[in-house]
Amino acid sequence: MTAAVRAELRKLFTTRLWWGMAIAVLVSGAAFAVLFAFVFTSDAVRGPQAAAAPRTDAALAKAVFTGGLQVGYLLTLAIGVMTIGSEYRHQTITATFLALPRRGRVMAAKVVSLLVVGALYGVLSLAGAVGAGTVVLTSKGVAPFADTSIWRTLALSLLVLGLWALIGLGAGILIPNQVAALLISVAVAWIVEPLLGLVLALTDWGKSISPYLPSRATSAMLESTSSGFDGQPVHQLSWWAGALVLMAYAAVMAGLGTWRTLRADIT
Amino acid sequence: MVHGRPEFTGRIEVRGLTKRFGSFTAVDGLDFDVEPGRITGFLGPNGSGKTTTLRMLLGLVRATHGTATIDGHRYAEIANPLTVVGSALEATNFHPGRTGRNHLRVQAAVAGVPDSRVDELLELVGIPAAARKRAGGYSMGMRQRLGLAAALLGDPRVIILDEPANGLDPEGIRWLRGFLRHLADEGRTLLISSHMLSEVEQTVDDVVIIANGRRVAQGTVADLRGEPTAYVRTSDPERLTQALRDRGLSVAPKGRGLQVTTEDLAVVGDAAHASDVAIHELRSEQTHLEELFFNLTDRDEHRNRNLDARPSGGLPVDLPPPSGPPIDPALLAEPVESGEPGERVERRASTTPAMPAGRPDDDGRPR
Repeated sequence: MTAAVRAELRKLFTTRLWWGMAIAVLVSGAAFAVLFAFVFTSDAVRGPQAAAAPRTDAALAKAVFTGGLQVGYLLTLAIGVMTIGSEYRHQTITATFLALPRRGRVMAAKVVSLLVVGALYGVLSLAGAVGAGTVVLTSKGVAPFADTSIWRTLALSLLVLGLWALIGLGAGILIPNQVAALLISVAVAWIVEPLLGLVLALTDWGKSISPYLPSRATSAMLESTSSGFDGQPVHQLSWWAGALVLMAYAAVMAGLGTWRTLRADIT
Repeated sequence: MVHGRPEFTGRIEVRGLTKRFGSFTAVDGLDFDVEPGRITGFLGPNGSGKTTTLRMLLGLVRATHGTATIDGHRYAEIANPLTVVGSALEATNFHPGRTGRNHLRVQAAVAGVPDSRVDELLELVGIPAAARKRAGGYSMGMRQRLGLAAALLGDPRVIILDEPANGLDPEGIRWLRGFLRHLADEGRTLLISSHMLSEVEQTVDDVVIIANGRRVAQGTVADLRGEPTAYVRTSDPERLTQALRDRGLSVAPKGRGLQVTTEDLAVVGDAAHASDVAIHELRSEQTHLEELFFNLTDRDEHRNRNLDARPSGGLPVDLPPPSGPPIDPALLAEPVESGEPGERVERRASTTPAMPAGRPDDDGRPR
């Protein structure tokens, strides 16, 4: 099993994909931290109308440090899609299953390696965000580590990226065409699903569903606040419930993908 | 010298193997054996089910019925199978952005093989420098060599190669022949598929021929080939017959000429010269194996089932398949004999079987 995981990691690190993604994750982490740090500390946002803006130093720091993670998880989602999609596209899946015909183990190795990669990219994103964000926050007189719960948010950030990669893994199997899988999963995760969340929040029955959408669960997990159309902070789950919901999405998607892979004829 | 894991002898058994894709039966009740220490050619026209059979043997495609085993084990049941069975299926399955060497390193990681073995093998197949470039730019020949290196990674007892000569230049094919023979002499089992008999006929010991997913023939090449014969047309058949029989050759009338059991055309020519008869035509005939295989690839019902069938009515029966070898005009001028298949084959200009239609990369390959 460790051999299979090592092979999966070698696959990821022997094409040019990984360092392009690494740069994007690092830069977006830093850029969003700087942006959010300036915006949330500006007078306009701190005024009485801006109910959704983080009020405490700790909440502010969490919002700043995790600001780049939405881009980050879209990127690891794409990595998850490509981990399996490119194997089918370039028919390397044949070599993969020849080396390890127990396909469940191959999929397990992919799951483990994606969690590892998610954590590595998480470290990069946080390095950028904490580095740049701390400078700006400190200059604005905000204490970047006011509260110990900030460490929990940072730790869970590493998991978030891995879990989204697993959602991508499932999408990459369920949508056989790699390009379509990439476009559909990124479009859904980036645009459709957040909009759906906002629209659902307008209705009474939708209000109780929207916290369980993946992006809302992610915000809940990171304890970063977000606002609805009315500018009021939306109701979200507690951090641990958010984490469980996102894990459930990852497990269902990766599980469906594995189930399909076990039965497929590789021609 | 024993290669690979000693608990495996490397005997392949295929029993009643069947694969249906929907209503299409790709492989139909196939039985055959492959013996260790020998090179077995797995032959059939394009679309006859060779690749599907190999993929079932390797656990990539699930059989509808029947079994394909290596020493009694299904591929998927073998722990660390790369150390028992090495295979190269299609020449295209490399990630274009990954170097050939890294492709092997990925496989090596699973099989628990050190990277030094990867470099050894790249040296062995002759692409040590090229393998450090990304695979997207590889020629067909380089892909074949890289595939071969991948197959040998775990020092396996059994080696299965799908169309290994495709895309190799003449020098590459010669090299491949020697290399495969060397591997078989080390006691390994080699199973090599091809849609061209001429490509493997000089390399293999045994052949299994399939068409439409069914076995048509199995045996040693020597048995299936039969005795070599020459065909001669002459001004005076009776005199030449006598002259040849005087030299101890067996002669029988065939069509408008004679069939002589010999592979030495010079003997026939000398006999004709000595007895002062004119020769109008003299050539080696196809062996039984060539004829058998040619008839398979040439018949409509055995054409590639993966492609659409030719329009009904089709081509006149005398013409070669569209991309076959050019026909000798002199042969067309001859009166047409109504045709049992043997006669049609006999009128062909060369001793080699025609290729099935439509492999553009076959041009200029030695036959």
